[in-house]
Amino acid sequence: MAARASARKSRAIHFSVSRFTARPEAPSLIFLALLIVALSASTPEFATVANLRGVLEQVAVVSIVALAVNQVVLAGEIDVSTGSLVAVCSFIYGDVATAHGEAWLALLAALMTGAVVGSINGALATYGRVPSIIATIGMLFILRGIVLLTAGAQVINLSADSRLFGAGTNFGIPTSLIVLATMFIAMYALSEHSAFGRDVYAIGGNPRAARTVGLPIYRVRWLTFVLSGLSCGLAAAVLLGQIGQLQATAATGFELKVIAAIVLGGTRITGGRGSNASPVIGAVLVGVILNALTLNRVPGSYELLVLGALILGAVAFDGCRQRLLGRGR
Amino acid sequence: MSAPPFALRDLGKSFAGIFACRHIDLAVAAGEVLAVVGENGAGKSTLMKCLHGFHAPSEGCIEVDGAAVKFNSPRDAEAAGISMIPQELDLFAELSVFENLFVGQHRPRTRWGGFDRRGMQRRAKEILGSLGVDLDVSLPVKALSAANGKLVEIARALNRDARLIIMDEPTAALTEREAERLFAVIGELKAQGIAVIYITHRLEELFRISDRIIVLRDGALVASGLTANFDIPKLIHAMVGRPLEQFFARHPHPPGEIVLELRQLGRRGSFERIDLQLRAGEVLGLAGLVGAGRSELAQAIFGIAPADSGTIWIGGQPLRIGSVADAIAHGIAYLPEERRSQGLVLPFSIRENISFAALEHFTGWGLVDRRREGAFASDALRRFGIKGAGIDAPVEVLSGGNQQKVLIAKILALEPKIVVFDEPTRGVDIGAKSEIYAIIDELARQGKAIVLISSEMNEVLSIADRIMVLCQGEVTGMFSRSDFSAPAIGAAAAGQRAHHVC
Repeated sequence: MAARASARKSRAIHFSVSRFTARPEAPSLIFLALLIVALSASTPEFATVANLRGVLEQVAVVSIVALAVNQVVLAGEIDVSTGSLVAVCSFIYGDVATAHGEAWLALLAALMTGAVVGSINGALATYGRVPSIIATIGMLFILRGIVLLTAGAQVINLSADSRLFGAGTNFGIPTSLIVLATMFIAMYALSEHSAFGRDVYAIGGNPRAARTVGLPIYRVRWLTFVLSGLSCGLAAAVLLGQIGQLQATAATGFELKVIAAIVLGGTRITGGRGSNASPVIGAVLVGVILNALTLNRVPGSYELLVLGALILGAVAFDGCRQRLLGRGR
Repeated sequence: MSAPPFALRDLGKSFAGIFACRHIDLAVAAGEVLAVVGENGAGKSTLMKCLHGFHAPSEGCIEVDGAAVKFNSPRDAEAAGISMIPQELDLFAELSVFENLFVGQHRPRTRWGGFDRRGMQRRAKEILGSLGVDLDVSLPVKALSAANGKLVEIARALNRDARLIIMDEPTAALTEREAERLFAVIGELKAQGIAVIYITHRLEELFRISDRIIVLRDGALVASGLTANFDIPKLIHAMVGRPLEQFFARHPHPPGEIVLELRQLGRRGSFERIDLQLRAGEVLGLAGLVGAGRSELAQAIFGIAPADSGTIWIGGQPLRIGSVADAIAHGIAYLPEERRSQGLVLPFSIRENISFAALEHFTGWGLVDRRREGAFASDALRRFGIKGAGIDAPVEVLSGGNQQKVLIAKILALEPKIVVFDEPTRGVDIGAKSEIYAIIDELARQGKAIVLISSEMNEVLSIADRIMVLCQGEVTGMFSRSDFSAPAIGAAAAGQRAHHVC
């Protein structure tokens, strides 16, 4: 009797374990956990509250944007204009905040700017039939060009009041992490509990079938781009809050860190497979690795090398995993 | 008498002025299984796509409950209660079974405002249960077999309150046992008052499950009636029964020695135990329905999807053909079925397309000798009668028939001994067709061994010396020229084993 119950229990455990390992974010989460254990053992400075908090604050901005771009990728498109868009939104935020001294008004202006650019990206990629990689690369250059032309030599220094969304703490938690958590909850609800969110998975997973069941493919994809634009507006407010000053080259290369976080976290770059945890886990993974390099006094010039190797390794690993899973069936 | 729930009135659909189907009148009653049969290209798919809102009819109209309706997209058709289950699975592989049922549908919500997953799972279980199916509805669809995928598609249609379900070759990918299960499910649907339109090439199935049959040929409705009033020979006659047009005369040549021999060749899931001897100068027609394993056999001979049992003998030597390079090295050429996707490089020039496969013949010290390449291409244009553009024009400006001749020139540039043609005249006009037949005849005269795959009965009948018929991966008939008969070949293609005449 007891033997049978324990057999059933072990089967249930085995079942839930295999469910977990089949999840898209499982490998990166396991890798992250192992890394944290290893670093805690090897590097004494790592497992301190101050250090971990610093790592999380560092990845907050990337994570916020990655959560939204994750939806674009899940829907089968891509958005690489985020770096320049964050810069544009930051200048809008900075100018409005300096002129009016109202942080919330500045946030609203940044969000609206992001939404407008996102909707242009989305319209080009869907109704305009421009492949999204091309449309958003174009937008990336155009927006950076605008920033360089209009704000080339300008350096904005924000007052403490205007740094509301990135600096300081609430209830002992850094504000940027509160913003990130809010964003995560919002994206989770949208993705798992709205028709829009479910349609995103369906459209990215099998566009032909989505058409057969009559899903509004263009509208859904367009909305994911708007979402991505909005996230850039929010990220701009957090970024400015964190660093307090701004120049025209801000957030250069940011767009690729966003994509890297999404892919490392386990979202399939061609769409349809992934989760909301993926981009955050991916971003934290990058943050932890860079932190480990710093703590172990590896020169900063190795950063890109390590990141690149990590991305290639992760994608190759996932390819092998999918093949093995496929063969087991 | 009340109006039938679904009807087509004088429906026609044309593409660029050519009608794919025309003057179709049809009514489907609740709880009825209507079988639609016809050869490839008879207009079945076009007709069904009109009914499912994918195409807008060019003529006539669709009536739902006696009122004329206009469908702008499949979405409208679904709203009117018409669902379609296409031949290939059209599900979302990464999503769970119950999620698939609710995609694009209203999903129940809990008190907290989130989706009621338990409620959705319960509903999914209920629907599948009503079909007598027990599945773990939280599994992702990619973990299911093709058969269970079909059942999920049916359940999805039911969850959208479909009153008519169109099934296109639902048993194509199923084993016999799985098909039996599907028939039981169709029985359940009938009992629930749901109409089914059933398209299949497996004729014996129709007699098991359908109430009525309609036959399409060349886009017209040529026969219809209660299933009880048909039998297989009658059905085949209705499907292929046009008079044999002899618009090409073959010049049979005395066959030479055996060039290609297959011994018990098989590839799991595609075809099995194929025996064949092919002689120099002989044209072997390979007949059968789509999915019978003809292209798969050709691709095994050409090494695209190598055989996994049996042996291929060429010139009296047993060989292993594991790749396309092996096949080419042994003098085999293959003209693929899909010339645009598998054969031509469309933006390339005609010259480059022709020399593509045999480039090393024109290459010295790693450089392509443009003059020799050009001379070869010009000569090919003349020999194969390729008209419409010079050798330096992009190949995409040519008509379908001339593109096909470019492709033939390309595969013959390597001087093969064995040539496999897969649907060489699909989508080409009648003039180019007879030119392609003349090329095949000339190749046979030169002593090449030829395998011709064609879904057009007349084509095989008029140019082959022998015809081998496949059905579901097995040889069901072998006919020599004196025994050619369209009904007998049609019967063999539908699975009626003919006596062997070879």
